[in-house]
Amino acid sequence: MNAIVEEIANKAKELSGVIELVSETSVFVEVSRRSVREYVKWLYEKGAFLKTCVGVDERIINGTFALYYIFGFDEKGLDVIVKVSSPGGGAFKSISDVIPAAEWCELEARDLLGLHIEGHEKKPRFILPEDWPEGVYPLRKDAPHDYRPPANVEGFRKELPRRIGVPVGPYHPVLHEPIYFELYVKRERVIDVYYRGFHVHRGIEKLAESPRFTYNDIPFLAERICGICGFAHSSCYALAVEKAAKIDVPERALWIRSIALEVERIHSHLLWLGVTLHILGYDMGFMHVWRIREPVMVFAELLTGSRKTYGIAVIGGVRRDIDEDGKRKAFEVLRSVREEFKKLVDVILSVPEVVRRASGTGALPKDVARALNVVGPTARGSGFKRDVRKDYPYFAYRYASFNVPVYTEGDNLARLLVRIDEVFESISIIEQLLDTLPKGPIMTRSYEIPPLKKAVGAVEAPRGENVHFIITGSGKPYRWRVRAPTYANLPALKVMLKGVSLADAFLTIASIDPCISCTDRAVVIYDVDTGSSMCTSLVERGRRHAER
Amino acid sequence: MQKGSFIKTIKSLEIPLKVGRVAKERYPLGLPLVTDSFRGAIVIDTTKCLGCGACTLACPPNALSMIFERERIVIEYFKGRCVFCGVCADKCPAEAIIITKEFELASASLEDLKEEVIHESSKCIVCGKPLASKKQVGHVKDALPNAKKYINMCSECRSKKIAKILALRLGEST
Repeated sequence: MNAIVEEIANKAKELSGVIELVSETSVFVEVSRRSVREYVKWLYEKGAFLKTCVGVDERIINGTFALYYIFGFDEKGLDVIVKVSSPGGGAFKSISDVIPAAEWCELEARDLLGLHIEGHEKKPRFILPEDWPEGVYPLRKDAPHDYRPPANVEGFRKELPRRIGVPVGPYHPVLHEPIYFELYVKRERVIDVYYRGFHVHRGIEKLAESPRFTYNDIPFLAERICGICGFAHSSCYALAVEKAAKIDVPERALWIRSIALEVERIHSHLLWLGVTLHILGYDMGFMHVWRIREPVMVFAELLTGSRKTYGIAVIGGVRRDIDEDGKRKAFEVLRSVREEFKKLVDVILSVPEVVRRASGTGALPKDVARALNVVGPTARGSGFKRDVRKDYPYFAYRYASFNVPVYTEGDNLARLLVRIDEVFESISIIEQLLDTLPKGPIMTRSYEIPPLKKAVGAVEAPRGENVHFIITGSGKPYRWRVRAPTYANLPALKVMLKGVSLADAFLTIASIDPCISCTDRAVVIYDVDTGSSMCTSLVERGRRHAER
Repeated sequence: MQKGSFIKTIKSLEIPLKVGRVAKERYPLGLPLVTDSFRGAIVIDTTKCLGCGACTLACPPNALSMIFERERIVIEYFKGRCVFCGVCADKCPAEAIIITKEFELASASLEDLKEEVIHESSKCIVCGKPLASKKQVGHVKDALPNAKKYINMCSECRSKKIAKILALRLGEST
């Protein structure tokens, strides 16, 4: 047991907590509801990032409701999962005033499981629509998975604020997914934001609990969480299950998964860059970036059988092998993409409308990035060297050498440059992994998944850290929780948008590469009036502003 | 604007000159749009299909379904739900499912998206309930000659019969 694990255990014992399970990469701790705040504060000050929290209905197992807070020590590669439980689902203490990033997931647990969390009583509904009947909590095990309440339009009307700002969405030509912002402006500057999202909550976690799904069906469902980084989700699910059941995956499969993930990152970053240039009005750049992206898509199809939804991840391995012909083709494509992209980047970064508009706008200071635990290029643009591939090496990443690009400015240009650099890094990773591709089988079928094992899987998706939490059951997961990267990054927009001119607001929103279908679960309102009040309840304050 | 960046901007004109004006394929007259490893819609080989329904259990989005009718068993493939993953082809014991490169599936009518494989159903010789497709029963008969006695019975009648035999044996021994 290394020093940090011992320290975590000692602190837990000090607060009369129980160490449930210790493995190489994770520590499971159970603490009482009374001392959880002190414990998570200690963890947070020790340098842990909050990844997410998960509410679980464990009444069938032990008669309680549980709330798992998932922390990660990046530099140690260690997950710390803090469990709090309550027999009736009541009297949980919110930690969102200690760690602001916990607000969303706590509200989600409140809405979907009916947990009573002190500190969140007065906040409006977060995840469920306004016309959802009272007292029906979809993620409880006794709620049927196919329950459909009758729609009630009246419920929505009172939700609208009296004063309306500049509306952006829910369907907007610039933002391609259903998301709604209301920007309050003073002259040209944005002073406040009203955000309402989660129009496309699809209840995927509940669907996976329906009788139809087994362990090996869910990768195909997980792949459809996101239209751009689907493989990151399906492979992350497989990783979580493999960790829980301690399945040894053949090496060749790990290599192929890493290669597919990097192909996905290249195409996603190129797509984002194209859209961003389009938002900036530089359409020539947009078209050429997408022209360069096309061979990557064709290459993905050659590798996996499909342009986008690869469908190759299953528990225990992958379904498609890479042959010599594919390898040769891969090197060709990567070489030409690198050359062409280098030339184009040279041009893009010399275009004044790109650089001048992106630099200095949408700034995210480092301390706010820390408090909100942002992930991916958003964190790396604000000076945090957070990358799951380096911090918690999974699949074949420990066998490739690559840099993690970090910029400290925190503005839109920094996030743009991080992504451009990452494309080159990804190309180099794929080349290295193809060179060292080990021989052998690509799938193992000899495994058993024991019930009631817990594990956290994390994969670096193009947008940031993807977290899947699994409690195994018999024949299918007992609980499967997905935390998409945008879920962690979206709350940072309230700080980024403060003070930008209206024209740059779209660029700023796009700069976190929001993936709404991944995230969508909730209704939130928030306020950017004063930076100092960030740790108080964002939901209530934003609401008051909207009605003023 | 700096002088250097102006030259670079001019340089950007070089790219379209090199690439040419049309970056698109001349669909549908040009080269095929998909590569060799593309997974498209599936086709079920009716001569090979046994009607066992293994694919309907494996299919993640329920695009394949097994419908029991009075005289027949229908394996229905609905392309509208298909996610083109090809799991069914992996699971098919008779290798009857072929993954094609077909992706131009748009149609004005829903019925065009459905394909059916119809099997004659064999009946339980005791109670007359539909049992399985005749082809599947025949396949099992060939593979397991010893199973002839029980193969034409549904699971309920079979367990009743076995229970009876066991009871008789027990009666003899005591």
